[in-house]
Amino acid sequence: MPREIAIQGVLVPGLLPIFLGCLLLMVLVDLLIGRYGLYRYVWHPPLFRLALFACLFGLAGLLLLR
Amino acid sequence: MASASMKAGQAAHRWPALAEAFAGEGRAWLFVFKTLLALYLAAWLAMWLRLEQPATAMITVGIVMHPHSGMVRAKSFYRAIGTLCGSTFGLALLCVFPQQRVLFLLSMSLWVGLCAGGATLYRNFMAYGFVLAGYTAAIVALPAIGNPLGVFDSALMRVSEVMLGLLVAGVVSDLVFPERLRLVLRQGAREHFAQFIDFVRGSTGGSIPRAEMEQAHLRFVRAAVQLENQRASVIFEDPEIRARSTRMRLLNQHNMAAATSFQSLHHLINRLQREHRDAEAAALIALYRPIGAALTTAPDELHDPAVLAPRLRECAQGLPALEAELRTGLAPGRAQLAFDTGATVLKRFLDELCGYVEVELALRARVQRGAVERVHFRRGNDATGAMVAVLRTFLTMATLSAFWIASGWTFGVSAMLLATVFSGLFAAMPNPLASAFTMLAGYAAGMLAGLVVAYALLPGSDGFVMLIAASLPLLLIGPWLNAHVQYSGIGGGFAIGIVYILALKNPMVYDPTHAFNDAIAQLAGVALAAVSFVFVPRVTGSGWQRRRQFRRLREQVVEAASAPLAGLPWRFESESRDLFHQAIVHTRPGSRASRELLAWALAVHESGRALIELRQQLRAGRFPVEVREAVDRAVQAVAQLYRHPDAVRRQQAEDLARTAIEACAATPALRPRLYQLLGALRDDESPLATWMPAGEPDRAA
Repeated sequence: MPREIAIQGVLVPGLLPIFLGCLLLMVLVDLLIGRYGLYRYVWHPPLFRLALFACLFGLAGLLLLR
Repeated sequence: MASASMKAGQAAHRWPALAEAFAGEGRAWLFVFKTLLALYLAAWLAMWLRLEQPATAMITVGIVMHPHSGMVRAKSFYRAIGTLCGSTFGLALLCVFPQQRVLFLLSMSLWVGLCAGGATLYRNFMAYGFVLAGYTAAIVALPAIGNPLGVFDSALMRVSEVMLGLLVAGVVSDLVFPERLRLVLRQGAREHFAQFIDFVRGSTGGSIPRAEMEQAHLRFVRAAVQLENQRASVIFEDPEIRARSTRMRLLNQHNMAAATSFQSLHHLINRLQREHRDAEAAALIALYRPIGAALTTAPDELHDPAVLAPRLRECAQGLPALEAELRTGLAPGRAQLAFDTGATVLKRFLDELCGYVEVELALRARVQRGAVERVHFRRGNDATGAMVAVLRTFLTMATLSAFWIASGWTFGVSAMLLATVFSGLFAAMPNPLASAFTMLAGYAAGMLAGLVVAYALLPGSDGFVMLIAASLPLLLIGPWLNAHVQYSGIGGGFAIGIVYILALKNPMVYDPTHAFNDAIAQLAGVALAAVSFVFVPRVTGSGWQRRRQFRRLREQVVEAASAPLAGLPWRFESESRDLFHQAIVHTRPGSRASRELLAWALAVHESGRALIELRQQLRAGRFPVEVREAVDRAVQAVAQLYRHPDAVRRQQAEDLARTAIEACAATPALRPRLYQLLGALRDDESPLATWMPAGEPDRAA
């Protein structure tokens, strides 16, 4: 994965599509967890969601930009 | 910690009023703390990322912050969409007309006008997204007009700053002592459920006076619209609510359908009682009694859907036997027809009530299983009102542009910008002129405070901590005012004004002449946006719009008689309620206009529902051609009556309904609904009674 992608001559950081992809993934995960009510087992759901997103994004970013 | 809370508890005992005040203030200060945290965090991050104007990120935070985190998320979502659309358009516009100022400004005015018009078509923060799309285009393109080559960088910077602000606001409001809108929604929904069940149970006596029915209708419509509004915001806050979203919509629709059937049933019983046909009325009340009994349970289970649902189903199974038994006790012909009509409505009501309670039961379950029917809450919108908003905003912008070009005013950009922002924001408000002037006052105060901070306190301070120390005391006034509903207009202006004139930068730029010129231009922009409402008056809440909404409400019946049947019941129930709700908030409770509107709303619900069901029956069954034609004519006549109500059309509709009933002698399935329609036309308490010949002997059926 290149560090920067050229879209119509505009350089966009390669992390941006990864970020957007992770957002999408997060929405799906959220949907699943919400449907089965699993957030009730978590002390602070928003904090958990943010942390989960940070993990996802960090992992994907590190793997793809290795 | 423990001793502190004990002390607070003792204080609460000694001075309850004081404790109450502190509880309210505590929430306000929590909000102030969260807002300031988000503001400074956004400023620091923007400076760290070397963004051009950290002030834009701060303004974004100031605008989207709200005590409830769901609101922040919803507002942010639409703001993000609006910003992206607006900056794309601004970019495109400047690429097309880089050297044509007249064409450029005209198209810009038109775009802003169109966005302001679109905003009036939506409630919630969707409207806000439209406003944003309008003024972000201006924010991106206008400052770059002197340097067209820099527009791309300007757009990129603006989008980055706004997104940063949104991100920070969302994270802070969600993580730091979040206040959940979900709890408000859940409590509201449960209260509404309990109220509705209580109301249904409490009316076992059979008849409810019309005035009480109107009040109940008003309450239920309010609850239905409010629940839908809150649901649209909470889905951004809570994944559990998002998973329940479709089902909550279905719940609302079931509730509205059940409420309409319930009203129809009671209108019917009331009519029978007024006509002294006590045998039929008594039979219907006897048929209703099992429902009341099914809803009467142990006191702590009164509103528990898990207990109520099986009891209601059981009751529904026993109903046909009771119906047959009661029917034999009545004289054949007229009396039995009236009873059949009531029984049909009652069975439908029970069916809808069962559906309502079962959806509520499924909603309270921890895990959501299976898919449910997708229904939408349709809004009743007014295209003409939107056109007026387009015209007004376009005129404001065009006037300012012309003035800018003619005078060569250096700070015309600022005036244009602020006029764009505020004419968009005000267009969606119920009383724009008053709110424009409070906003203006707040804005001026905010600018003054900003000047004090920038030129008296900030110079000489060094580092981010000193910056916080210098700006905190005056900056916290805005969010504090915002946290109190009665000052929120002033607070909104103050919060934007101070951040705007402060224009924090790294390194800070001090230019008093520029700041004063800018301040004057911005105030002129806000004032002009306010003045434009004098020349092209507001539409929302005016008598003209109320009359139009009133007509649209009546035309719902025409819709019920002619629109395609697929999904029509849901559309009819939600749109008529939304129209009614929009119109009723602008009338004084108890005034003549308000009573008239309520009376018409009830009539529209009853007739429209009967028409839709009649059409559904006609389509589902096989009937002879002459029956079909007779019923069709009656349906169209009722639609005509509601379009232009007068005595001739009412009489004609009544005659055609009678003819249709006679034509249906061989097909008893159609008769109850026709009879219900006829009853609604002849109701002497409905607004149609104005056109009824006085003292006419009752010839019903």
